[in-house]
Amino acid sequence: MYRTLAGLVVAFAVALALVGLTFSSSAEGRADYVFVNGTEPKTLDPQKMTGQPEGRIADAIFEGLTFRDNETLRPVPGSAVSWETSPDGLRWEFKLRPEAVWSNGERVTAHDFVFAWKRLLAPETASEYAYLLHFVRHAEAFNTFGSQAAALGGPDGAVAKLRALVGATPSGLPVARWQAFVKEVGLTDLLTGVADPVLLPALTRATGTFSAAEASALADALEGERARRAAEHAAAVAHLGVDEGVFAPDPSTFVVELRTYTPYFLELTAFYPTFPVHRATVEARPDDWFQPGRIVTNGPFLLHRWTVNERIRLHKNPRYWGASSVSLETVDALPIENSTVAMNLYLTGSVDWSPAGYPQDLIDVVKRRPDFYGEPGMMVYYYRINCTRKPFDDPRVRIALGLAIDRQVLVEQVMRGGQVPAVTMVAPGIPAYRSPQGTLGFDVPRARALLKEAGFPDGKGFPKVALLHNTSEAHKKVAEWIADQLRRNLGVDARAVNQEWQSYQESVRRLDYDLARAGWIGDYRDPNTFLDMWITGGGNNQTGWGDAGYDRLIRLATKPLAVVEMPAAERDAFLATLKERPEAERLLAAVAAAADPKARLAAVDALRLHLFREAEAILIQDGLPVIPLYFYVVTGLVHPRVEGFHSRVRDVDGSMIPNLQDLHPFRDVRMRGPAGAPK
Amino acid sequence: MSARPTAVPVKVVGGLFVAFLAWLAARPFLGGVGGALVGALGGAAGAWRLPHRVLVRVLWTVPLFFLLIFTAVQLMFHVPGDPFASEKNTSAEVRAEQQKHYGIPEKGFAGGCKFFAAYIEKAVVDGYLGPSIKVQGRSVVDLLLPALPVSLALGLLALTIAVFLGLLLGVVAGLRPSTWVDYVAMAFAVIGISLPSFVIGSLLILGLSLTLGWLPVAGWGTFAHLILPAVALALPYAAYVARLARGGTIEVMSEDYIRTARAKGLSEQGVVLKHALRGAIVPVVSFLGPAAAGILTGSFVVETLFGIPGMGRWFVNGAINRDYYVVLGTVLIECGLVVAFNLLVDFGLAWVDPRLRGKT
Amino acid sequence: MSAPGPAPSAAPPAGPPGRSLLSDAMRRMRRNKLAVTGGVVLVLLVIACFALPALLGLDHETTAPKLHNQAPSASAPFGTDNLGRDYLARVLVGGQTSLLVGLIGAVVVVVIGAVYGAVSGYFGGWVDEVMMRVVDFLYGIPYMFLVVLIMLQFDDEDRGSNLPIFVALAAVQWLTMARIVRGQVLTLREREYVLAARVTGASHARILFRHVLPNCMGPIVVYGTLTVPAVILLESFLSYLGLGKSLSWGVLVAEGVQGINPVKMDWWLLAFPSGALALTLLSLNFLGDGLRDALDPRTRR
Repeated sequence: MYRTLAGLVVAFAVALALVGLTFSSSAEGRADYVFVNGTEPKTLDPQKMTGQPEGRIADAIFEGLTFRDNETLRPVPGSAVSWETSPDGLRWEFKLRPEAVWSNGERVTAHDFVFAWKRLLAPETASEYAYLLHFVRHAEAFNTFGSQAAALGGPDGAVAKLRALVGATPSGLPVARWQAFVKEVGLTDLLTGVADPVLLPALTRATGTFSAAEASALADALEGERARRAAEHAAAVAHLGVDEGVFAPDPSTFVVELRTYTPYFLELTAFYPTFPVHRATVEARPDDWFQPGRIVTNGPFLLHRWTVNERIRLHKNPRYWGASSVSLETVDALPIENSTVAMNLYLTGSVDWSPAGYPQDLIDVVKRRPDFYGEPGMMVYYYRINCTRKPFDDPRVRIALGLAIDRQVLVEQVMRGGQVPAVTMVAPGIPAYRSPQGTLGFDVPRARALLKEAGFPDGKGFPKVALLHNTSEAHKKVAEWIADQLRRNLGVDARAVNQEWQSYQESVRRLDYDLARAGWIGDYRDPNTFLDMWITGGGNNQTGWGDAGYDRLIRLATKPLAVVEMPAAERDAFLATLKERPEAERLLAAVAAAADPKARLAAVDALRLHLFREAEAILIQDGLPVIPLYFYVVTGLVHPRVEGFHSRVRDVDGSMIPNLQDLHPFRDVRMRGPAGAPK
Repeated sequence: MSARPTAVPVKVVGGLFVAFLAWLAARPFLGGVGGALVGALGGAAGAWRLPHRVLVRVLWTVPLFFLLIFTAVQLMFHVPGDPFASEKNTSAEVRAEQQKHYGIPEKGFAGGCKFFAAYIEKAVVDGYLGPSIKVQGRSVVDLLLPALPVSLALGLLALTIAVFLGLLLGVVAGLRPSTWVDYVAMAFAVIGISLPSFVIGSLLILGLSLTLGWLPVAGWGTFAHLILPAVALALPYAAYVARLARGGTIEVMSEDYIRTARAKGLSEQGVVLKHALRGAIVPVVSFLGPAAAGILTGSFVVETLFGIPGMGRWFVNGAINRDYYVVLGTVLIECGLVVAFNLLVDFGLAWVDPRLRGKT
Repeated sequence: MSAPGPAPSAAPPAGPPGRSLLSDAMRRMRRNKLAVTGGVVLVLLVIACFALPALLGLDHETTAPKLHNQAPSASAPFGTDNLGRDYLARVLVGGQTSLLVGLIGAVVVVVIGAVYGAVSGYFGGWVDEVMMRVVDFLYGIPYMFLVVLIMLQFDDEDRGSNLPIFVALAAVQWLTMARIVRGQVLTLREREYVLAARVTGASHARILFRHVLPNCMGPIVVYGTLTVPAVILLESFLSYLGLGKSLSWGVLVAEGVQGINPVKMDWWLLAFPSGALALTLLSLNFLGDGLRDALDPRTRR
């Protein structure tokens, strides 16, 4: 017996010795710059990635036409050395930098960009960010119209089904049947961006009956829409990447044609979905070309090692055209999500930068540290309201809920991190945009009055309200506090309910909730990123709310010239629907009076922003499918030895503005002094 | 036992089956059919010499694996969520394209059956366990294989600490029940049980790493990185072992044969080593089977707390993300470990109690 | 099984005739001071958790964010949490869930596990093989999905009750118990008194419940008391998945551990729920040992 026991001990010892095999990574030692990167990146394929952890690595190893300058975060020449714009702002011609090369020594050419952009838009790539480029000529058609036309046409397509339905209801098509059909074939998804005067109102129509003639016109309009989409798709396939949309007349010239003037276009050329990829590498192994050893990149750093759940190690790229200005030799990205672990590593000097890396409840102490930074971010925290469920289908109830929450207490005493109370949807910091007046100030008497009007005096008879949140201590804390607010201020029986991440998402998607917490991070500095999601049936709407006037404003905002070009009667009718008509008229006059193309572009952009403002007014004054709560702050801990980090950046006029997206490119980061525990 | 007439057929079938398993297992590494065949022949030769009981148990694993995979697939296809869910809802086209690319049918029973058939076919014919959907560009094997030695290292050290510490405390307490030795040992055990490993881990980090600076707070790479997580993982298990061992010891010490042994003049030390330990071990051994499997696979909390790239992460994150192929990979590992450890436990029981030999 | 033969020499160790096993056990139990103390403390804890909040009018939900993370004081004896809620009330109300789930859950688990394990070990052979493979199977199932699926079977109203939690806990916790009891029974069934009982023609059920199970009481009670904390802590994992209660000792401990760090020491957030948990376990432990001594027919002083 004891010999066996001794044998077991020896076996344990041998097994422990084998552990040495897993310690190979330690030989590399600490990198020059180590940071906490949050979740493990899902992929390093720029056209397929989403999310900040992926973006930080992509910004380091790839380079787009432009990159963001450290001090200003504005796009400066990267792979493109210069560019020219046509007077109407629709055609951009980029000259590529002759000395820019891939890590394998080949030149970065315009064809690489054509390949990457087409790849982003190709339906087979299934890129979640493809819609970002839909303002490029042919892009939307290339990306979505093919499958939409296919689903609409054919013997069991939506058109054929509708014709059958119309044939079966000769006395007229009841709207209920029509809406059932819309849901069954997923028509809203198939008709994204539809502007047809017959189809558009029909999609949101809720009551009545289509006469036989109307129904048949509906079917014709659907067929017309199918044909239009099929034709546009064919044109896109023939021309995109060849001679229209995006194309390369020669290896060092990259041309982009826009459908509509888009002020934030240049900003997107520094955003990872538009980064170039090396064609031969990608085509050789489409699924795992981005693994170390295989990947070919063009950025200031190279992907050296990627051990899942341990670290990503980057090395400086000696072939990078600007290598002389890159100071760091090695960078480590640690995939750590747990904020306590992140803080411990930071406090012991193992990590130089830890974004949001401390347990939230420690904010009081942490924010007094000299190495702490906290700036407003372009993110909004809010609750969705299920507008399909009684009694939340009543706007008065929704407004009452929004009025009963004291956001000042929320940010000052619950969150305590310098968050900004939110009564609007669009986060502050977007150039030239002003949100309309919010109506959601803290006003208990008005909230109670509204609730009484809706038939629930003192909250009597109001059903139980579940505040759904996904599992997280921070979300739980806010949900429990809001529940207490609603209980105390409205007399409503509210409870916080948590679900794990996937169940929560499915509940929200299926509209199986009362109120559900949500957050939205702006992708680019434009109100569109916060507002286009609320169109009827929009994929990220998920409240069941829809408003035809809102949809129209959002659509017009993507093509503001349409307002200018409207016939006078139609324009008058449109202006009559606006809340701030005089302002809109003034802006229209400014467009007409613009002396030169540049001034005209600016005037059209002002008009565009006003359309967004009108849309947001509908969202936050009338509809209220959401309760905005606060705008996030971007916070973190950064070691004093890190130079060139820039938690605030310089604006055009020289003033300092917040670093909204917490972007701190490594190319200009320098280390002053050795690593060690921060003082 | 060996005289049973069924022994030879069992050996043939079992040997062939083990050969098949070895072939499957060897394919990804040896590459080529030839290499795999060599592995399979080795496996078969080894299997022939294995005891009859082991072969029966190995044969049992076949239906077990299939049933388990099928059940797991059906569970996955009935719970909410899928691997493509993201905070920003993706369009129907993007989703359809992603599903096609990864071979994921629609949810529900029929979809689950389709997925199960495709998975089994790929696993048996190609020896391919599928790609991870959450960490793109890597297969399940790419993810789990590097994590295995990490978890083994952590788990074995923790298990060693747990067993030795637990047995020591338990036997000492059991030999002197209702004395201060007993109370101190059991108070320790109660604290170990009522403090989950993440609390113990946090306290250890606070004391030994952050305040004293003796050991690293988190990470992986040297033996020093291993100590705190192993202790944090081991202490609750040590407490369990101590409680079980104490009970076993008290029971054995009250048996007649101990009194006889003492009466025969066997030294106290001899009694303890020869009998008390043996009695203490029976419940502990039964506990160790599930515990060992749990320690190797269920160390998610400790791995997260110490930033260790082990397997426990995949067990939890795979499920949270609905990373279907990873989940099935972890099911296979869990099942394999449970079967293996329970086999060891049964042998362990027979070794501890000779009367059981050949009876289980 | 009922082969004729000489009468067994070793009498099956049931209680002495004329006095029931139970009253005998009770008598021995009362003599064990530590066990009595454990029992009293446990009862006091239960009373405190269930009666005190209502008696003292404690409110565990009303927030006062201004008074967040206050150290224990006269007005808030256990301090306040991160929303300024009275931590004493939260620990007591949290105890309701934990005690209920822990004690009842553990009893359910013990009964299922002990009977299953005893049957498996007693019959041995292919019965044992099949029954243990079922256990292996259940070990292998991804637990998280099982819990989520169980959750889906209950509608919103029931989800807040304890029933789904019991179902989810019982689904896995009995497995280890079954294996331990089975291991014990495997060694017991070869004992003289079992063989003797068999020879006298006693039914399997009688042998199992009169002779085999009582002789496994040691490990059953010990592991049973160990199951209580396991169940209480597992409940916090369930609440992570959205199944458990949002307030229990397990949840409070998990949240309170964040209060322990070099930057700031909100020790009371961890100390009180952990202390309550430890006190419960300590008293259970002594009670369990006393119970074991009282029930085990062999350990008589």
